[in-house]
Amino acid sequence: MAPAASGRSSTRARTTRPRAVKPSVVVCIPSQTSFLGLVREITKRMAESAGFPEATADRLALAVDEATTNVLEHAYRGSDDREVELRIEDRGPEFRVEVIDSGASVDPRAVPRVDLDRYVSERRTGGLGVHLMEKIMDSVTFRRSARRNVCCLVKRKDTPPAR
Amino acid sequence: MAELTVETRDVEGVTLLYPKGFINAHTVRVFEGEIQKVLAQGQFRIVVNCAGLAYIASAGLGAIMGAIEEIRGNGGDLRLANLNDTVRNIFEILGFNHLYRIYPSEVEAITSFRPVGAGS
Repeated sequence: MAPAASGRSSTRARTTRPRAVKPSVVVCIPSQTSFLGLVREITKRMAESAGFPEATADRLALAVDEATTNVLEHAYRGSDDREVELRIEDRGPEFRVEVIDSGASVDPRAVPRVDLDRYVSERRTGGLGVHLMEKIMDSVTFRRSARRNVCCLVKRKDTPPAR
Repeated sequence: MAELTVETRDVEGVTLLYPKGFINAHTVRVFEGEIQKVLAQGQFRIVVNCAGLAYIASAGLGAIMGAIEEIRGNGGDLRLANLNDTVRNIFEILGFNHLYRIYPSEVEAITSFRPVGAGS
């Protein structure tokens, strides 16, 4: 039975209620773009569960879609027989997603910065994904760990949405 | 159910595209293919009606970017209408709202192609 919600009794409730376990999901998907929809759905559901409004959850799902797409296109270079691991965690003050692959080491610094003024004339179509991720998230970091690439996306719960 | 379908129709010399679903790295080829079909017909006045578009990832924005030079080089333009809040926000985050003309409705987008001074 769900505990009764009451603002006045919240302090007492905290002292008697067992500490809540923060949701955490680990998903492994094949390195195929057909699974991007599932990645988006899971991320959005977890973000909403973590307390983000739907509009923010949509953006977080997009950032994770972009990170996963980067893995498929760059780390795995289109191979569809590999695996991408997603670790999605509500860590209380922050929402964290790690996108992990065992593909080629990718230097994120090699990703060209987006210059919208020159974008049309140069007919560039790449680099938007990382730019979008950085605009949506509070932190986007890349590291190499145990011969795997780890892209860590963090969104704090007290920051306003991207504009 | 298809994750993306794109219907087209012509109105007043403007080709309208109706993407329905979402555009990401998986579905972008469908979207690109429809744009290329329109360009192959020599039609360079295009409106993408986004009323049925749930969201668009960078792959979809790249598809538009990849075609815009040819479109504008032929004296045309690609304009957008009926963006939902999610799609509009993505455009604004990237500053694409400064690169493309966006209209609240399909009618306004079509009308925008009329010569200046032409009556309704």
